[in-house]
Amino acid sequence: MRSGICLAAPEGMPVPVPRTRTALPARRLLSGVLALLLAACGGGGADGRVEIKISGSALGKEGEVLVRQIARFERTHPGIRVEIQRTPDDATQRHQLYVQWLNARVGTPDILQLDVVWTPEFAAAGWILPLDRFRPDRADFFPASLQANTWRDTLYALPWFMDVGMLYWRTDLLPAPPRTLDELLLLARRGRAGTGAPSRGIVWQGARYEGLVTVFLEYLGGFGGRILTPDARVAVDSPEGVRALTFMRDQVLRHGIAPREVLTWHEEETRFAFQNGTAVFMRNWPYAVALLNDPAESRVAGRFAVAPMPAGSGGRPTATLGGAQLAVNAWSRHPEAAYRLIAFLTAPEQMLERAAVVGQYPARRSVYADPRLQRSLPVPVAQVRAIVEAATPRPVTPIYTQLSEVLQIHLHRALVGQAAPEAALRDAAREMERIIESTGIRRPAARG
Amino acid sequence: MKGGGWGRWAAAGALALLVAFAVFPFAWALVASVTPEAELFEGGGGWPRRLTGDHYRALFTERDFWVPIRNSLVVAGATTAFCVAVGSLAAYALARLRFRGKAAILGFVLAVTMFPQISIVSPLFLLLRELRLINTYPGLVLPYLTFAMPLTVWLLVGYFRQIPPDLEEAARIDGATRWQTFTRVVLPLAVPGLATTAILTFIYCWNEFLFALSFTLGPERHTVPVAIALFRGQYQVPWGEVLAASLVATAPVAAVVLAFQRRIVQGLTSGAVKG
Amino acid sequence: MADPRSDDLRAERRFAWTLVAPALATILLVAVFPLGWTVWESLHRNDLRMPWLGKPFVGLGNYAEILADGRFRGALGHTALFTALTVSLEMVLGLFLALAMNRAFRGRGVVRAAILVPWAIPTVVAALLWRFLFDSEAGIVNAVLVGVGAVDEPPVWFINAATAWVPVVLADVWKTTPFVALLLLAGLQSIPTELYEAAAVDGAGRWWQLRHITLPLLRPALLVALIFRTLDAFRVFDLIYVLTGGGPGTSTEPVALYTFNALFQNLRFGYGAALSVIVFGITFALALLYIRGLGVSLSGEER
Repeated sequence: MRSGICLAAPEGMPVPVPRTRTALPARRLLSGVLALLLAACGGGGADGRVEIKISGSALGKEGEVLVRQIARFERTHPGIRVEIQRTPDDATQRHQLYVQWLNARVGTPDILQLDVVWTPEFAAAGWILPLDRFRPDRADFFPASLQANTWRDTLYALPWFMDVGMLYWRTDLLPAPPRTLDELLLLARRGRAGTGAPSRGIVWQGARYEGLVTVFLEYLGGFGGRILTPDARVAVDSPEGVRALTFMRDQVLRHGIAPREVLTWHEEETRFAFQNGTAVFMRNWPYAVALLNDPAESRVAGRFAVAPMPAGSGGRPTATLGGAQLAVNAWSRHPEAAYRLIAFLTAPEQMLERAAVVGQYPARRSVYADPRLQRSLPVPVAQVRAIVEAATPRPVTPIYTQLSEVLQIHLHRALVGQAAPEAALRDAAREMERIIESTGIRRPAARG
Repeated sequence: MKGGGWGRWAAAGALALLVAFAVFPFAWALVASVTPEAELFEGGGGWPRRLTGDHYRALFTERDFWVPIRNSLVVAGATTAFCVAVGSLAAYALARLRFRGKAAILGFVLAVTMFPQISIVSPLFLLLRELRLINTYPGLVLPYLTFAMPLTVWLLVGYFRQIPPDLEEAARIDGATRWQTFTRVVLPLAVPGLATTAILTFIYCWNEFLFALSFTLGPERHTVPVAIALFRGQYQVPWGEVLAASLVATAPVAAVVLAFQRRIVQGLTSGAVKG
Repeated sequence: MADPRSDDLRAERRFAWTLVAPALATILLVAVFPLGWTVWESLHRNDLRMPWLGKPFVGLGNYAEILADGRFRGALGHTALFTALTVSLEMVLGLFLALAMNRAFRGRGVVRAAILVPWAIPTVVAALLWRFLFDSEAGIVNAVLVGVGAVDEPPVWFINAATAWVPVVLADVWKTTPFVALLLLAGLQSIPTELYEAAAVDGAGRWWQLRHITLPLLRPALLVALIFRTLDAFRVFDLIYVLTGGGPGTSTEPVALYTFNALFQNLRFGYGAALSVIVFGITFALALLYIRGLGVSLSGEER
């Protein structure tokens, strides 16, 4: 059992203020003193090694890869011992747990796996360390994912793998994927015609949660709209926004090509529907490719392909940017060791292995030039790279969670028919404006 | 006594029904906790075809249920010990000695037992965070004092009042100091009351949820109620284990309550503290 | 000056204060000081997730926001509904139980033991037991309802606001009726039997005795039980946190749970503190009532 007076003393010191860069020398001094104190009372673990904890998805194949890579890391870094701290895989639950830990200022887990939309929130709250002091190599990462991990011109997390929204389509029912949203409607109808054809045209994530916003963002981009303008004004209630939401609602309520159930579905329910052959199209993340190609589980193995989400008039094909980042807990007692593990896990070799085993897309451009990547991905690399390169981030703001919650509620109201799309978006925009106003993120002082 | 005839039978029947209502959930949980997981979800009802101890085994091997039990014992035990020790002094003074402000203090103590915990949870959190006591034992004992201390004092005042004053007066006349009178005469007589109070305080601490939920962060410091409430399976509630844990958490409390029921009822109704 | 009696009194007073001081200091430190802090906090904006806002003084701004907060009004309504339903059921059932137990009969100990155990167990456990009984797949309630043909489709109790209240109210009634019954039983046992005997001699019926002797004399006990339960029901947290989590949506969310969420989910400590103060204010008003009610029995015991 750890604890005791020895640890209480250094932990009682003033907490780091990661945002103020002038405080860095003081911080370094502090952590030096801290390290000494800890070394003096054996804070580094029984065998004198530094012990760090990483929290993240550790189930199934993701867990296998992580364990293997950590073992390699420990061999090359004999002074560091790494432990995996298990956390729920449900994003909402994990977020809640992180908030509880970080707000209580506990130093473990030292390394946090973050969803792409959490980085600005945690950075602004002072919960994760700026990474600039470690001089990360930025050049190789996709700019959009670096931007999503940057708050006030400072990098706070390194992209680990990328997720992008994609359209899955049945190659046995259709000759080619749709190029426009109108074609999507048409093909969804055509694909359903005929005996033994799927009963559903398209399935997507329509429950009231973050996933719904990611789906909406793709239609929104497809019509040329956006959620926030660059100067943080709400733009979601634009005519483009109304068109996008109307298009989604009509799929369910007017054309019936999306079943009503999608309004309660998350990723896995849509995958099961597509996997059982009951849908022509599915919107989902890349993780489903490997699972759908498993003939033991899937009835559509070898009979589907992925394509970018099509666009409507006035927009461009849009894929929502998702994925995981790694950041250092601001109260970690071993930030240097933690960063070393992050650098190791986000190195090209590890990304390549992850792509091969789990099918998750690398966040470094150089990996896409590696011929080994093509061998491990079931989709043409050029196509993947094109989708990833064009991926659209969600608004980069520390109050994203609050804004998204409002948006989810009103999007869902429109989709179930409780409100007209126009009214729903107007209400959402008004509430979002109020949140932005009251949190002062638009004020120039806050942006500097 | 009074009454007879059919009225008595009706009352007896109704009482039997109420007892059944009180006991049934436990009985049903007991059956379910020894039913294999697969059978549980075939639809409720019916006696299990096969009995299993798997849920109980999983509780202690996979879920380390002894950790929350240890945490609860430490926290509730420390709180109770401190409260009874300090509270008995105050309670004796409030029950027996003459001084101004006594009634006001009694009223104040009673008022504090009424405090909604939620109304002090935020400053306690900020305080514990500053003191680096979140997720530690002292970090739970300290908040627990907020309800346990007034509860203990209030209950003990009731017990001290029941002790006949003649013995103290006799001791004083024999030349004993006030302190000696208290420790040598009153305290020994109050042992049953102290024990009952300790039991009740312990039960309140054992059952507490809001503070434990707010001030602990992980399974290494979760108390029994928090651990059970946060049991999760990957896809569905692991009912077998949840119910096994519920019964394990309940059994010691139930045993103590049954053993001391007469005293507890007396303490409860004379003190009339929160249900 | 040297009056030995006044010296003695002064010594007794000093001794008394010495004994009271540690407990009193503890209570002041851990309960009253945080309460003051809550009030102070409630006058500030303090969003722990947004440290860039600082901690500005906003006066009654948080309270103004609460008044316009639909979710708070909803929570207040749920709390009132829960309190009204459970307390009235518990009073009626508890009175009945107490009257029945007041008769001497064999097995009285068994009855008392049986009803005492639900009271003693953790509320979390009680909530879980009832959630299990009402589980849509494994629960016995649905099995019975389908078995006797009362319903065709087994209902999913927790996805509908109206049906979600059923297990919540039943669980609370199950857990706390014993407490009410025991309080009332103590009250009943303090009524002198001669009153009934005299009334019986006068030819008064059982019903007359109940209305003109039992109920009036039981009034203090009834009042105590009533206010106790009201206070407790008003603070409800554990039970609903475990049974429904406040759902579906926020349709069973009581004020304590809303406050908890404002604090620990949204980290709005200023706003959460203001909510806390309101909960405290309402409970305090009810508690004042209680102390006045109890004042009757207190003065009886006071020397």
